[in-house]
Amino acid sequence: MMKVAHTICPSCSIGCGVNLIIKDNEAVGTYPYKSHPINEGKTCKKGRDCFKIVTENRLKEPLIRRNGLNQSSWEDALDTIASQMKSYPSQEIGIVVSGDYTNQEYETMKRFAEAIGVGNIGCHTGSVPSEALETATLYDMENSDFILIIGDVLKEYPLLGRRIILAKENGAEICTVDTPDKTLTGINSHRYLQVESASTIIDEINHNILKKLNPNSTVIINNLKSEKDFEKILNFFGQSGAKMFPVFQDCNSRGAMNILPVLSEDDLRDLMEKVKILYVIGDDLASYMEESLKKLDFIISQGCLVNETTLISDVVLPGSCWAEKTGSFTSTTGKMQNISKITEPPGDALDDQIIITKIAEKMGWEPEKLGLDPEKTGPDSKR
Amino acid sequence: MESQFLLAKAKDEEIATKGECGGAVSALFKYLLDQDLVDGVLTLTRGEDIYDGIPILVEDSKDIISTCGSLHCAPTMFGDLISKYLTDMRLAVSVKPCDAMAINELIKRHQINEDNLYKIGLNCGGAVMPISAQKMIEMFYDVDPSEVVKEEIDKGKFIIELEDGTHKSVEIDELEEKGFGRRINCQRCELKIPRNADLACGNWGAEPGWTFIEVVTEKGAKLLNDAKKGGYIEVKTPSQKAITIRGKIENAMIKLAQKYQEKYLEENYPDIENWDEYWNRCIKCYACRDACSLCFCKECDLEKEFYNDEDAIVPDPLTFQGVRMSHVCFSCVNCGQCEDVCPMEIPLAHIFHRMQKKYRDKTGFIAGVSEELPPLYSPEKE
Repeated sequence: MMKVAHTICPSCSIGCGVNLIIKDNEAVGTYPYKSHPINEGKTCKKGRDCFKIVTENRLKEPLIRRNGLNQSSWEDALDTIASQMKSYPSQEIGIVVSGDYTNQEYETMKRFAEAIGVGNIGCHTGSVPSEALETATLYDMENSDFILIIGDVLKEYPLLGRRIILAKENGAEICTVDTPDKTLTGINSHRYLQVESASTIIDEINHNILKKLNPNSTVIINNLKSEKDFEKILNFFGQSGAKMFPVFQDCNSRGAMNILPVLSEDDLRDLMEKVKILYVIGDDLASYMEESLKKLDFIISQGCLVNETTLISDVVLPGSCWAEKTGSFTSTTGKMQNISKITEPPGDALDDQIIITKIAEKMGWEPEKLGLDPEKTGPDSKR
Repeated sequence: MESQFLLAKAKDEEIATKGECGGAVSALFKYLLDQDLVDGVLTLTRGEDIYDGIPILVEDSKDIISTCGSLHCAPTMFGDLISKYLTDMRLAVSVKPCDAMAINELIKRHQINEDNLYKIGLNCGGAVMPISAQKMIEMFYDVDPSEVVKEEIDKGKFIIELEDGTHKSVEIDELEEKGFGRRINCQRCELKIPRNADLACGNWGAEPGWTFIEVVTEKGAKLLNDAKKGGYIEVKTPSQKAITIRGKIENAMIKLAQKYQEKYLEENYPDIENWDEYWNRCIKCYACRDACSLCFCKECDLEKEFYNDEDAIVPDPLTFQGVRMSHVCFSCVNCGQCEDVCPMEIPLAHIFHRMQKKYRDKTGFIAGVSEELPPLYSPEKE
């Protein structure tokens, strides 16, 4: 058995189409998806390798910490979570989500949090400020006369980089601003301006560049560490009438931001000060915020991969990867694209909405009352 | 064996109606599956619309019907799909000339077992890139591309059919002059009738409702005979006039391809400054290598330590594209996959095709067609 199935690459926010090759129910490779309007069959290495996400380093069973992390049954894991959650007031419960879940999953998470009265919920997904939602399209960009780029877009987002190359071939003037001596985007630009740091771009940018910004130009903003810098730069360049093209981080950062509160790193740190029990969905918090996690009483992590957060969690729930679910992602330009389930999750792993619904049920809520789909938890759902 | 010409069509009515030109190719696939002569058929099926051709492995002959009809906006490649994932199966595969060329090079390199394979060739005037096709239909036909229910290429025209049955057509020459029409690789391709497959099937010279088949190999001849005996196809002999017409179409297309080779590989060939600019964009993502059927090595030299230049912003073209070129350009079949998948729009196939042409002029070796391996080929990696 072999099939070639359409999907959207989960590796970044550009929203490229990829064909997954499934042989005997296992993802074994990718195949160019040439009729996809965003990338026309072209991908970067991450896109071509995205099939590995389906098979490598997967969580396959629930785990509970009892003298170290041990395999457990779903029943045991869910009971433990429900009794822990019930033993804390809702203001001491936090939920943190990553930017690579579907829009439908974010809706479910939101309803779950509302039902159990948790206000400390949010998504940490890069530094694009939440109000930055009026953005340029790929078409706008490709047809610009002038493109100002902040960051090494060609290297980091090659399929966005491709549009810059096409715009350049169309006669657009390209100017790049960044901190290193030399970057790939820089050497492919007409002009490269090296700046001290992201926060000094506005002070260092010269008058000649600013003069070129008008409604026929695009400003691409990528890779800013701080949300404050991002906001400042967006507002500053936005005044020129140029179209703004902030690059969101994850494959559905933009969708998450439409549904859930956005958490900057500072917000995250504050949230973890306030709560005692944290439900982490997808995000590998331990990889960048281990200190804050140490202060918590109880950590529940849900995801498809084994990561650093898995290792310090008290209960671990094996979820699904993107190829195992149906839903939609919203790309960096705001384009909503559907994905369909192509393979089954491995081992005892479950669909993430089913997991959330099961937790809600254990806590005494009927799935229908949460607006959750009861079919998701019915006898026909997997296991 | 002597070449032999036949007209054929499916006996099954549904296949005859849904299939292209009387559905002879689909009927042969059905025969091969029903008789358990193959485990699967690798071909294309229509995905979301007519611009979306998806490779499909059919294992049950009932499903052949879903693969009926031709798709000209699907520049796919089957060579590496077989050598990477399907070597454990007895297969029948529908091949465009470039698929057949890639498969032949892989057979010579022992990456595909010819005994396990029926290659049903499809004459090919060239494919159109799906997104470019949609833009072209908007611009030149003034039609919403989603309203097109069928497309075909006939008598030098790209023809679209709308839901209400109306047809609109534009000369391919005109489309190509404006940068649309067939892929540039296809414009340059001289192999229009896949005589490197077991059978070469198409509509050139055929009467309506019949497929014109050129029998190329013994295997192909036996298949046709047996399928006829089994009641899957009916056949008749084409008129001399039909054979002449087909020959004329082929010759005209080859001449046109040679003109385009001259245009793209000589007159408008990028100069050295252009190439510097192109190589300057390379992100060393290996898409070109991964899309190349001929780059089959399990351990690629390009990933060896002595070529590691991770600190460099762009790879040295000599030790990246140069090494790849030195390994495979002699055998380049001009399928264009490397160029199609390059995220940085580097016109890679231009340089590879040009090199193969020069090599061919000096040695007589025609990639994908010659039966021997290229002179100086090293079997070290097989």
